[in-house]
Amino acid sequence: MIQAQSLTRHYGSKTAVGAVDFTVQPGKVTGFLGPNGAGKSTTMRMIVGLSRPSAGSVTVNGKHYRDHAAPLREVGVLLDAKAVHTGRSAYNHLLAMAATHGIPARRVREVIELTGLESVARKRVGGFSLGMGQRLGIAAALLGDPATLILDEPINGLDPEGVQWVRRLVRHFAAEGRTVLLSSHLMSEMALTADHLIVLGRGRVIADAPVADIIGSATRSTVRVRSPYSGRLATLLARPDVTVTPTGPDVLEIVGITAADIGEQAAGAGIALHELTPLSASLEEAYMTLTQDEVEYRSMGSPDSDAPELQEAAR
Amino acid sequence: MSTTTPTSTPSQATPPAPAGAERPPSAFRLSFAGILRSEWIKLRTVRSTSWSYAIVVVISLGMAAIMSAALDLQDGGPMPAAVQAAFVVQASTFGVFFGQLVVGVLGVLVVTGEYSTGMIRSTLTAVPRRLPALWAKAAVLFTATFVVGAIATLGSFLVAGPMLAGKGIHASLVDGAVIVPLLAGALYLALVAVFALGVGAILRNSAGGIAATLGMLLLLPIVLSMIPATWANDLVPYLISNAGTGMMASGGQAVMEPWQALLVVLGWLAVSLAGAALLLKRRDA
Repeated sequence: MIQAQSLTRHYGSKTAVGAVDFTVQPGKVTGFLGPNGAGKSTTMRMIVGLSRPSAGSVTVNGKHYRDHAAPLREVGVLLDAKAVHTGRSAYNHLLAMAATHGIPARRVREVIELTGLESVARKRVGGFSLGMGQRLGIAAALLGDPATLILDEPINGLDPEGVQWVRRLVRHFAAEGRTVLLSSHLMSEMALTADHLIVLGRGRVIADAPVADIIGSATRSTVRVRSPYSGRLATLLARPDVTVTPTGPDVLEIVGITAADIGEQAAGAGIALHELTPLSASLEEAYMTLTQDEVEYRSMGSPDSDAPELQEAAR
Repeated sequence: MSTTTPTSTPSQATPPAPAGAERPPSAFRLSFAGILRSEWIKLRTVRSTSWSYAIVVVISLGMAAIMSAALDLQDGGPMPAAVQAAFVVQASTFGVFFGQLVVGVLGVLVVTGEYSTGMIRSTLTAVPRRLPALWAKAAVLFTATFVVGAIATLGSFLVAGPMLAGKGIHASLVDGAVIVPLLAGALYLALVAVFALGVGAILRNSAGGIAATLGMLLLLPIVLSMIPATWANDLVPYLISNAGTGMMASGGQAVMEPWQALLVVLGWLAVSLAGAALLLKRRDA
């Protein structure tokens, strides 16, 4: 379990992470989502103590990361940037990491096998492809058989097989009751892999809910209707809480009323329908809606906004 | 999933050990002995280490041979034993002057190599309290460099000794005036390496660290001696490289005793390591 309390990080006058509170629960895969510069990587770096919080704190299983007797057994972390000496072989890199915790060479060979690195393990890391580098990073994260797994953009550069493998790995970890925090810029990947989402925008948590809730709440479902009598249908359905948008000849997109209701009403009025399709929102749309709100909120310049440029302007 | 080539496809297996709310207590534990082992693995598994150490030994042996061959004694009169020993020591430790530049570069690279590649993030994730990693790095580098330095100076004695004996200059390794300066040379090399490690950790940049280290070893003595002021002149013996020469002195004409010179070198090292520790603890990695 990861708990952040008022976790804050400033870089000069810029706020990378602004007093965020969140809890990453064990037993499920939590997705960390947000545009570039939203503070995902900074937050992950603060969890394992690579960056120091300006204020607030973050704990892993009730303790600061550095206070654990066996940090690598507590948290396995893959950071976005490469974190391996290019002049050393993959095997020796893992062996050196393992040695700090007295992890035996047997476990090193195990994670090499697990990540499919056998054929390149003795080669120097400098020649690794992006995908190989990612696998080595994941191998290092698995070394201590950690209770918590933190992966920043783990599927970057992986082939489709690798992507599936990572997906299964994190699902398996969560199923065992471990904690998994995963960041990805691919919303479709999150929809497939994560149970719970924490959406960051400009260093703040703008959503923290199950994936299904975020998809459901952020976008009202839309129904597409095709009818030669679209004009009459639009008039028939007109109500203050219903939005009807013509998107083509004879095509309407209707928000605020269910497909079933549209069908009933059209039948009652004798209007023939050629198509009646409920369009469920994708996570991507939900995400765009969420972050769009964030941008609008910012540009209105609410007094409690902590956007650095607004603070600058206020001074 | 359909397995293609077994070498390029991650295994379907998932980690074997079960986990969850009640995890069995583990034997894995972060320890200083483990960190030392880790740093030793790191030091010996990059090429720059073996190259640097090989160069230190080769230069030292070569310099001893050149010095011994070049020595031409006009006066055939018998020399006092102490003077003979001083000749042999000088030939055997001449390479230390060049060796300090090599181990200085190595010391910088041991830490800046981690910053330039991002390895430091792995290191500090494994050792989140950070300072033990610095101490372990220093201890491992010190020990390895001392051993290599001893091989270089003792090996040089084995080269210079017979060559000079042919010219009537004799010295015995068991003579304190011989063995102590030879080991002091090795000690100085080890201390320079750790000093450079601190400089590298402060600057976190290979080019900058190497320039600063070589500047302090080579340039500072020249610059200070060019300043026409007594204070500049008074400072010269306290520069790290001059103090290093003082550590190996076997004659009595030096400004300070070898142990005083050692204290001066230790002072440089303490400042460098303290700065490194302070900044390592404070800065983001």
